[in-house]
Amino acid sequence: MAEGQTSDTSRAAVEGLRQLLGGSATFGEPWKLAGGAMHDSWAVDRTDGAAPRELVVRVSPAGRADHEKTRREYEVLRVAFQRGIRCPEPIGIGQCATGEDYLVMARVSGDANPRQLVAHENFNAARERIIPELAEALAAIHLISPQEVAAASMRAPATGQDPLQFERRVVEETYRADLLNPHPAIEWAWRWLDRQLATLPRTGSAQCVVHGDFRVGNMLYDKHGLTAVLDWEGTHIGEPEEDLAWFCTRVWRFGKPGLEAGGITSREAWLLAYEGASGRMVSRERVAAWEVLQNIRWCQITMMQARAHLDGHTNSHELAAIGRRTAETELEILRLTGVVERMRGHAG
Amino acid sequence: MQDRPTTAELLDALGDFMRDRAANARDRWERFQFQVAANSIGVLLRESQMEDGFVREEWRGLDSLIGEESLPEGQAALAARLNERNDDLAARIRAGQFDVQGEEPLVRHLYETVMNKVRIASPNEAT
Repeated sequence: MAEGQTSDTSRAAVEGLRQLLGGSATFGEPWKLAGGAMHDSWAVDRTDGAAPRELVVRVSPAGRADHEKTRREYEVLRVAFQRGIRCPEPIGIGQCATGEDYLVMARVSGDANPRQLVAHENFNAARERIIPELAEALAAIHLISPQEVAAASMRAPATGQDPLQFERRVVEETYRADLLNPHPAIEWAWRWLDRQLATLPRTGSAQCVVHGDFRVGNMLYDKHGLTAVLDWEGTHIGEPEEDLAWFCTRVWRFGKPGLEAGGITSREAWLLAYEGASGRMVSRERVAAWEVLQNIRWCQITMMQARAHLDGHTNSHELAAIGRRTAETELEILRLTGVVERMRGHAG
Repeated sequence: MQDRPTTAELLDALGDFMRDRAANARDRWERFQFQVAANSIGVLLRESQMEDGFVREEWRGLDSLIGEESLPEGQAALAARLNERNDDLAARIRAGQFDVQGEEPLVRHLYETVMNKVRIASPNEAT
């Protein structure tokens, strides 16, 4: 692993702990946790006897201007943890003298590796249990009202505005900014989405907190199922169908494309599990429209990552290669809108 | 004309090297990096074999949607003009032109060009 290039953030992690917990606190040697293209996460054990003993310090590299995001995640985690949602207990946030933002949390046991969860026989039981557990966690997140997280200052549709319409504008703005070459298929998808928006049933729910990045890969699990929902920095105000659709987006199926819900179960079984857990009805038509938007969002992310390489910001053949994954996502949009089926039907 | 090995043979050799390094990597990070590199070599290999034909197909598709135009001489000029024509098509879609004149020929063109991109970039997804 790339220990050499990350030793700087380990120093920031320890500095953050000292700022937050005072000079008398003592710690063991930090070790780096897997995952996280945006941040480094360090596991640290507190050794002075005070609780909690097992900690995680997530550090954003200096210059990423993550202060607002980190604060938002901390505020939302506080509310979610108090409500008994499976998530790490937040301990505090701050900024190092050298500019790195950090978030300190109590460590939760479990594994994040998505491919192991969707495929390995040791996790057959975990896969059975995790769908109702995730549905329950998501339903509990969606019960958080915008007022409870007012301190987190997150983006929100205007009163009475359709949350899908609002988020469509948010995604389009970043999409236009990150575009590397013309994408006529995505231009067509925007038109398709607007036609749907004109005829869709109105949202069935009051505005609520949505997680914003709820998917396999952003959670911890063990052999018994879910242990924690992670990565709350994309949290904003919207409607439940947004999270339900992102969970089904093809890129998060990890080699099991036939199981639309995270490579674990069918889309319909996932929506039924959520309806069971939340007691509310999910609009299939709205989820279908959201899933198209979420695939456009993933197109935008592939462009943004390729751009990070092409702009010279991060020299990486891996980021460059992601730029060629936009096409498979365009194809998924053509599948979701019925084009693929229609064209293959005509071809005989 | 270049000597052998051909483009395909040279890329094949590079791909084999990357796959071998992935199989014998010291850790997960290194294995992943070499797998990604081997995949990119595969993209280049398929592109060297198929892209010429795909570009001509795409050009003809654009001819029928936004008006005929003769192919420019030279690879660079062709790529630059194709990019401009795709910008033009995208702008017309955005302006709603095809909502009025009928979508079916457009949608067929989009399907075929996207499929051709996927055949090169992620052939496992092209089924």
